[in-house]
Amino acid sequence: MQALLGERRFRVGIFSWLLIGVLSYLVLPWFGLEYGLFDSTMDEYWDALGWRSHPLSLGIPILLLLFIPFSRPGRSRKIEGRLLVVLALAITIVLAADFIIPNRSMGLGSGVILISLAALFSYGIARLGFLQGDVFISGAVTVIILIISVFVFYPVLQIFYKVIVAKDGSLDPFQFFDIVSSFGIGRVVLNTLYLAISVGAATTLLGLVFALYSIRSTSPLRHLMRIFYILPIITPPFVVGMSLILLFGRAGVLNDILMYFFGSGGFFIPDGAAGIFERSGYIYGFKGIFLAQVLSLTPVSYMVIVGMLSAINPAMEEASLTMRASRWITLKKVTLPLLAPGLANAFLLGVISSAADFGNPLVLGGEYDVLSTEIYFSIAGAQLDFAKAAALGILLLVLSLTIFLIQKKYLSKKSFVTVTGIQTSGNVTPLPIRLQKFLTVFVCCWLALIGILYISIFLGGFVRQWGADYTLTLMHHKELWSNGFSSGGWPSLTNSLMFSFIAAPLTAIFGILIAYILTRKKFAGHGVIDFGTVLIFAVPGTVIGIAYIMAFNTAPIELTGTAIILVITMIIRAMPVGIRGGMSALSQISPSLEEASLLQRAGSFKTLRSVLLPLLRSTIISSTAYSFIRSMTTVSAVIFLASAGTNVATTYILSRVESGDNGVAVAYGSVLILTMLVFTLLVQAVTGRSRIEKQM
Amino acid sequence: MSRNSSIKVTLKNISKHFGSTRVIDNLDIEFKAGTLTTLLGPSGCGKTTLLRLVSGLEPPTGGEIWFGEQDVSDYSATQRDVGMVFQSYALFPHMNVEKNIGYGLGVLKEKKEKIRDAVTKVLQTVNLDGYQKRYPDELSGGQQQRVAVARALVLEPKVLLFDEPLSNIDSKLRRSMRDDIRNLQQKTGITSIYVTHDQAEALSVSDEVVVMHNGAIEQQGTPRDLYRRPGSAFVANFIGDSNVVDGVLEVEAGRSAILLGGTRIDLGERQIDNLPGKIQLSLRPEMFQLRETGDRERHVVGTVIHSAYLGAVTEYFISTPMGDIFTTSPSSDGQYEKGKEVFLHFHPDQLIILPPARA
Ligand SMILES: Nc1ncnc2c1ncn2[C@@H]1O[C@H](COP(=O)(O)OP(=O)(O)OP(=O)(O)O)[C@@H](O)[C@H]1O
Ligand SMILES: [Mg+2]
Repeated sequence: MQALLGERRFRVGIFSWLLIGVLSYLVLPWFGLEYGLFDSTMDEYWDALGWRSHPLSLGIPILLLLFIPFSRPGRSRKIEGRLLVVLALAITIVLAADFIIPNRSMGLGSGVILISLAALFSYGIARLGFLQGDVFISGAVTVIILIISVFVFYPVLQIFYKVIVAKDGSLDPFQFFDIVSSFGIGRVVLNTLYLAISVGAATTLLGLVFALYSIRSTSPLRHLMRIFYILPIITPPFVVGMSLILLFGRAGVLNDILMYFFGSGGFFIPDGAAGIFERSGYIYGFKGIFLAQVLSLTPVSYMVIVGMLSAINPAMEEASLTMRASRWITLKKVTLPLLAPGLANAFLLGVISSAADFGNPLVLGGEYDVLSTEIYFSIAGAQLDFAKAAALGILLLVLSLTIFLIQKKYLSKKSFVTVTGIQTSGNVTPLPIRLQKFLTVFVCCWLALIGILYISIFLGGFVRQWGADYTLTLMHHKELWSNGFSSGGWPSLTNSLMFSFIAAPLTAIFGILIAYILTRKKFAGHGVIDFGTVLIFAVPGTVIGIAYIMAFNTAPIELTGTAIILVITMIIRAMPVGIRGGMSALSQISPSLEEASLLQRAGSFKTLRSVLLPLLRSTIISSTAYSFIRSMTTVSAVIFLASAGTNVATTYILSRVESGDNGVAVAYGSVLILTMLVFTLLVQAVTGRSRIEKQM
Repeated sequence: MSRNSSIKVTLKNISKHFGSTRVIDNLDIEFKAGTLTTLLGPSGCGKTTLLRLVSGLEPPTGGEIWFGEQDVSDYSATQRDVGMVFQSYALFPHMNVEKNIGYGLGVLKEKKEKIRDAVTKVLQTVNLDGYQKRYPDELSGGQQQRVAVARALVLEPKVLLFDEPLSNIDSKLRRSMRDDIRNLQQKTGITSIYVTHDQAEALSVSDEVVVMHNGAIEQQGTPRDLYRRPGSAFVANFIGDSNVVDGVLEVEAGRSAILLGGTRIDLGERQIDNLPGKIQLSLRPEMFQLRETGDRERHVVGTVIHSAYLGAVTEYFISTPMGDIFTTSPSSDGQYEKGKEVFLHFHPDQLIILPPARA
């Protein structure tokens, strides 16, 4: 009875997917449409149907229908399974060849057929006993491997391929070395490393200081540290750089003040005498990027170290104190060594994030070239040097992948902080008094600087021309928001909202699914998904950007210029959030709950839906919310892929910065920050405890 | 749910490897239809693994699993028709008792009223009727355990599995719970496999006990068999307490005798499988009577090196020519101080001669 029910469902599943495949062959475009699904004429649509324009493709539905006579009840499971697998693979190969050989791009129809083939394949491997015959999980694994292959492995491989193709199209295996050893590249690499290591060291030190202060000081000021959780989440990465320009740029406040006192005709300069100060662009270059990155990355290292610090059992420090060690000695000999893995982790995170940062160097770089901007400039504008972009992309990828793997291998397990499950008791040891006083001053300065930065962003949008004309005005905001919905800031803002709105739930779902599969299931192919997620975690946005341009600009998968590619980019970029959220939530749920469900005859799908999802609800909400924010503020990858019709908020702001409209840019930036702030607070109010913070 | 529908469970040449660790290697075992069999063994010997292989939660590396006359090796846990009670109970925290127990029936698309009736019925069996609307965190440990049993029973599975179901319950309650489980199992007649650490629990609930050691089966038999005729020093030590000592077997004209540290014990015409020569014996602590007097030829003599008064009985460690011996003797037999010389009286029939060690 039970078995028969399963049989029926199995067969209904197969036939539904067959039907979907055949139907989409009949009514959906086989080939890609030049102007997209919604902007094509009826004729173009008509012509893109496979059976009208391309008789060869008729083989596909015929092959699909072949499933029917072969898939009859009563046949042996093994035979049926093999049949499904072989046919699905064969048709996939035929289908792929049909696009790759004539070099035409796939359409919606062939895409859907590919998905139904993946589904049929999953039914086949499940029948053969893969993943204990669970169709849903087999399907999820197949789809995830398919997605990772198409949107991670394939584009990354494209970089490696493009680097050996010379400008004239011929193959040049050693081109990589030519490019890398050519003039200037060495300097770019050194710049990147120097910057990344300095930023890593500085953010670690500052993170430690702030962490100690917030957990161990007795000052009421320590509660203000909470803003560290919120600000970096809601602030697009380059906005800090922009505000630095407002303060310290050529027309910045500091220059103004100095000019007022020391410039020619200044307060302290006698009439007629030459000023002893000239306006200077000192902020551009290393100093500026360094400052901007330190400001925006310190919160991340702070969070890593705080996590570690609050997990230290206070009894250890108390033990040290009872052995007559002073607070200083205890800090130096007990606390800091216990924190060492956390510090190393924070350092590596700082290095990776600095190397991958694109917005700040773009805004503040000046003459100081780093890999991420150099990649952008090799294909932005007229240069279009794909080989160079690819070579630099490889360097950046290798750099961050190496650091990521070091981190994963040596630091994830090597924690001295023992999690025993035993309630830690005892009081935390406060900081030495003098240290605390010094830190208080320091923290005040820091907070003041942050405060001024954010104030300048908000004010910047309300003055006529920062640096020259400080009359208050609404003109920037008016230009953005009151010229109708089809101009100014609206199109990019609605695009951002819409794309992020689609991307966020998908990110959360796939993140949890991947986390579930990685932590709870064992199967052949596990390594593929594992490696795919490592890449997703480690690949810098800029590299994803060029990789996608190279992979999806031409047949067989032509997606550049579409909204789809932006949504996909957002999903991939926010995926680490989803996966991490899923992993940490799943680690709280005992696997025996799922096993109990399986033994109650529920399949994986029912188990996920009825047992796991209800328990994961708050994780899903916070994952979705945080992915949404990430997607709204992401820039490094989307800047390569946004086109005139698919501009998003961040790329729009950057384009205004590039054309010198700083007022408009900061006005938009401040609106974006405020929107995100309100959204974050709302979500935190809904989820109760601020779970978003914990997921960073 | 009657005895004639029970099935036996057979594992044929089953192996389970995790990477290079061979947790279970080429094991054969049969669990008799309608019985409750306990798996007993030291921590890490593979009891849970064996249970999970039967449930289908863990696919075997090799071998076959049969339920009755059906090969279920290829069936997943969902298809295998087994119920399991987890050590942690694994009750769904977001569902009340009724939903928890009715979960599987819901999966099978049973009607609402039918589910409600089935839940009520099974709750009556575990004496928890009326608790339908409680959530797991509103139940005591023992009640949660019974809900877990009810959930495992409600689908009338072919096989019931228990993985240390009582280990989270205090010892007083554990006694009555284990009797409940025993009664339930006998009433339903579902073939059951029960993992425990607690040998008293094992001996009291089971029809058969399987002693496992390093992923292999040391001995399988009724509790009585295992205690009275342990197949190896390991089993002798594991089931009850035991002093394993060396002796020499002599056989002459159909009469055998054993040399135990200089004392010769005549066994008369007792049938012995071992070859004459060195053998191992198991001496249960309670077989000895301690006396101040005795025959140096026929009784073992020793010196008390440690004694501990435990109320009804007193434990002694006694140094003897055959090694240090652990005994328990009724406190009413008198107390022996440390350093005192005592004679160990026992009946020769109570000597357990261990079979020769397998190669
Ligand atoms: N998923 C796994 N991966 C690797 N080794 C495992 C895994 N599960 C169990 N083992 C190993 O298999 C051996 C047997 O484990 P098992 O859980 O079956 O022991 P057990 O007899 O139930 O022990 P206990 O009485 O402590 O519950 C152990 O050495 C364990 O380390
Ligand atoms: Mg166990």
